Parts: sequence; C-alpha cells; structure tokens
Amino acid sequence: MVKKITTDEFNAMDKSGISVLDFNAVWCGPCKMLGPVLEEVSEEMADDAKFYSIDTDDNPDLAREYGIMNIPAIVVLKDGEKVDMNVGFVPKDTLKDFISKNL
Amino acid sequence: MERFDVVVIGTGPAGLEAAITAKVRNKTVLLLGGKGSSDKVSKAHTIQNYLGLPDVAGDDMAKAFLDHATKMGIEITEDKVNAVYSMGQYFAIQCHNGDYEGSSVIIAAGMTAMKPFPGEMENLGRGVSYCATCDAALYKGKTAIIVAYSKEDEPEAEFLAERAEKVYYLPQYDYSGSLGGNIEVTLDVKPESIEMKDGQAILNASGKTFTANGIFILREQIVPSQLVPGLEMDGNHIKVDRSMATNIKGLFAAGDITGAPYQYIKAAGEGNVAALSAVSYLNELKKNQ
Repeated sequence: MVKKITTDEFNAMDKSGISVLDFNAVWCGPCKMLGPVLEEVSEEMADDAKFYSIDTDDNPDLAREYGIMNIPAIVVLKDGEKVDMNVGFVPKDTLKDFISKNL
Repeated sequence: MERFDVVVIGTGPAGLEAAITAKVRNKTVLLLGGKGSSDKVSKAHTIQNYLGLPDVAGDDMAKAFLDHATKMGIEITEDKVNAVYSMGQYFAIQCHNGDYEGSSVIIAAGMTAMKPFPGEMENLGRGVSYCATCDAALYKGKTAIIVAYSKEDEPEAEFLAERAEKVYYLPQYDYSGSLGGNIEVTLDVKPESIEMKDGQAILNASGKTFTANGIFILREQIVPSQLVPGLEMDGNHIKVDRSMATNIKGLFAAGDITGAPYQYIKAAGEGNVAALSAVSYLNELKKNQ
C-alpha cells in the first residue's frame, strides 16, 4: 500500500528502515501513470519497505528539502537519510530493481 | 477501455506490415499514425529493390501499402502519441486526442532527426524537463525558461506562470500570441547549449544568456527514450534483438527506428518479425493468466 502523507505526518513518522517516497502532483500525466505501478510494487515489496505518496503542490517544503526539481520523483530513504532518487516514469521491473538495489 | 492485443505506432512499411501480420494472426490491432503512410515512401522518386514491385514510384508504393492494409480491414487512427507507459501487464498509450490501452506495442515511428542540445540529457530531471504542467508546483516563487516549438505550448506557459515568479518564453516557431504579465517573450533566439551551475539552469542562445531555476523544452518531436520511459537505446536507435524485442517486455520496435540500413523492405521485414514476436508474447501472457 502507498500511503498519502502530509509534511507534518512525514516529520512525525517513524523513519527507521527503508521508506520510498513518491513525489507527484494531480495534473502531472506521468505521475498518474506511475501511481498504480508503484501501488503494485508496494504490495510485492511490503516486507522490504514502506511506501508514501507526497503531493508536491500541497507540500512544497518537503519537495524543496529533498531537492525535487522535476516529477514524478521516487526517493529512497534509509533510516530517514536520502540514499537514492529516480526522476520520471519507469516501468515496473525497473522500479523494483531501483528500490531493491537500495535495500 | 478496450484493450487492443497489439498497438502499432507508425504507418510506414514497418508499421503497416506489423499491423497486417498481427491481423492475419487474428489479433485486435490499433494502428496509430498518419493516414498517408510515410513521407519517406511517398516522396521517393523510384524504388528498385522492393521484391515484387520493380521500378515503383514512391507514391505508387505508398498507395499499394495502404490499399493492402485497407483490404485487410485495418484502419489508421490519426493521432499523435505523446507517451507509452509500461504498466506491467499492459501499456497505456497517451495520445493527443485521448488514451488507449494495449497488451503489446510495436514502435515503428521512423527515425527522428532531432538532436538534443549539449547539456540537455545530462541534466534531464535535474532542472531540465519536457513537461511544464507536471512540475509547475515546484516552481512557486521560482523562475523558468521555456523553449517552445508550437503555439500549443502557450497555455502550458500560462499554467506555469500562475505559479512561477517569472517565465522566459523562447518561441522556436512563428509566434503571434499574446503572452504577457510575468511571461517575458524573446523572439528570434536559437538555443545552443544548457548548463547547470549552483542550482541554476543556464541557457545559451544566439549570443544571449538566460538564467533560471529550470528549463522546459517542449518539442513536437520526441526521442524514443522519452516516448517510452525506461526504453533502452543504442545511440539514436532503439536497442532490439533478432526478435525485435526491446528491453521492455511486450514492447517491440521495427523499421528505421531500430537502425540502418534504412531500406523499405528491411523495415517491412522487421514489422513482420515484430508482429510475430508480439503474437508469441500474447500467447505467453494468456498462458500465465
């Protein structure tokens, strides 16, 4: 499951382990397509990582904090530290590989 | 939404042959592209090495190809493809006039002459982007440069300008619009190169320098790796194996887009192979369901 969160919720949450952040926006076509792909990946990798969706329009500070210039952007955090980022739509297998290599 | 077995993009010899072969194999086919086949065919003077059509004029050859497709009950859907997304079990094809779905896709869109600017690919996703509406939210209080190639990009500039502090708009077409406010239009400048420095994007164009937080390039032609995110390229061509398979499962390519020699019969032959490979892929997909 990919959980939609706000900046406040993000700041308050437990970030231990691997967290995958999906930075998106409602009017962004590629973001809309990546959403369901990430949802599938999150089901298959539920034991490995936690998945969050962040609307950049509602949470610009968080986007700035993570240096997001273009979306969709997938950020991988290890114990709250950014370890990797991928910008743009990617097919499911590529997305899984990208997350897996950062586990 | 109807999900087609095979979606073919391009109506040159590769695309038409792929559509015909898929149809012969009883698959549902969506053929996207121009109604008049490829300009490269119809504008050729004479072609001497196409088996069965000796010394044929280009426009006669195009007509023969299109008649063949029509006889097989294949219709061309005239639309411009913006992006093909590999969704796992299927593909979402975003077009100008709507969206389509296919279980497999064959890209036969020909060669694009488009060359990226120096510094463009290196900074893609790090300040250089092709979708201004996508990233608008990230430009609150920031500045952006738009290199635009059609008047259809003007609303996109306005959308971005609602959020951004300032937008530099550099039309590469015959501009007669009325963009204003915080959009500064500069005519007759040709972009030459892009660099990123201290988080700022710098565009060098016709002796002028434009600096902003990011650059959007809104081309009409899309390179294959942008058309299909995640697609593996070999230089300017799509990387394929002998079965015309790309690195993305269910996605095939045929014709000039896979590389030289740029020959009509080679394109048609590859279209045939790509369609047969798509058919085997579909059978496999069905078995696993």
